[in-house]
Amino acid sequence: MSDASEPDGRRESSGSTDTEGGGASRGVNRETTAPSRTDRLGTTSQQGTPYTESQVIMSTVKFVSPFALTYGLFVTFHGGGSPGGGFQGGAIAAAVVFMIAFAFGIDATRRWLANAVVVGLAVGGALVFAAIGLIPVALGGAFLQYDLLPVPLLDPVKYGMEAVEILGIATIVSGVLTGLFFVLARGFNRDGLDAPTIGRQPNGGTDADRGTTERGEP
Amino acid sequence: MIGSTVTPAVAAADVSITPTVAQVTPIEASLLVFVVVTAFATALARDVLAAVIVFGAYSLGMAALYVFYRAPDVALTEAAISAGVTTVLLLLTLAKTTRIEHEAAFESVDYPAAAAAGLLFVGLALTTAEIPAVGSPDAPVWSNPDVTQWYLTETYAVTGVENTVMAVLAAFRGFDTFGEAVVVFAAGIAALIVLRQEVFT
Repeated sequence: MSDASEPDGRRESSGSTDTEGGGASRGVNRETTAPSRTDRLGTTSQQGTPYTESQVIMSTVKFVSPFALTYGLFVTFHGGGSPGGGFQGGAIAAAVVFMIAFAFGIDATRRWLANAVVVGLAVGGALVFAAIGLIPVALGGAFLQYDLLPVPLLDPVKYGMEAVEILGIATIVSGVLTGLFFVLARGFNRDGLDAPTIGRQPNGGTDADRGTTERGEP
Repeated sequence: MIGSTVTPAVAAADVSITPTVAQVTPIEASLLVFVVVTAFATALARDVLAAVIVFGAYSLGMAALYVFYRAPDVALTEAAISAGVTTVLLLLTLAKTTRIEHEAAFESVDYPAAAAAGLLFVGLALTTAEIPAVGSPDAPVWSNPDVTQWYLTETYAVTGVENTVMAVLAAFRGFDTFGEAVVVFAAGIAALIVLRQEVFT
């Protein structure tokens, strides 16, 4: 909430209301592109993350996000009996994170959401899906042959499918979409590109040096 | 196989869905007009930000249309992914680039390209007379006893879930779905590599 860009954001939003036909789009444009018009692929430190603090958006997101997350979980868990499933539910759960980031600032949300959670969701989902698919293969069956799953007391077909939807697909989709959001918000990382590492050789020479020595050899 | 003994009408009664030839209701007609208008606006808008926003509206219209065509699973996906997530990701990407101010609101039309697209449209439109009406009991996708009716009648007995779409995705075509999930996973890795980041958050 107390983001570093808060004062600038306030000033921008109040300024854009004065101009006729300005609107939110022009305000966003001015904020984001003003620091570097020529450098299209700047880092976060150069461009910053566009954020305008708004009591209306924050209050709305505070109220709506628990219901939206519950709906995402319902779509995921109830996919076997109603429209939906892991893909849709995971996307809705990721959209809840998007809403929070828009209301409270992407950088604040980035600090709140640990990278291990996002990576764990994506990697864990892929591993669970692969494991459920490969366990029947190890037991002599086909890939994803649910009736061979060693599950006690439960219908292995029904609960195997639910495990794939909930623990596999929904976690992959929610983790990857959340990760894509933050990676795109940070933008292209120029660190290491500004230094002329491409032309430098491991022994300290440069391309030009190597060119002359190679040309010198008969 | 059940399809050899049960006629489509009996199978339809079993799953308590009676196919009816649907008429185009006013809501559907207005949704179709909305989708076409937003599609043209997306293609012709000169400002990229305007095009992204109108494209989100187009996706929302398509999602509502899918509900009317009784494809709620597709509608949920269209609303969540196309209208929601894709619009947000495109807006984020726009915020990272420069936005050029334009005097004109719309692109000038490339007439040879428009003529080619119009020819393709006319050619496709001529085939619509041969397509069965929405919800027609004679449609091959509905009256096929060996494929569609088998899935509709036998899914619950075979898999234990009621949603046939999910049963096809997770059980009958589970290997394809595993490939799709891996593609989503690879998209996250690719974004990290292309943008030279090491962590997501």
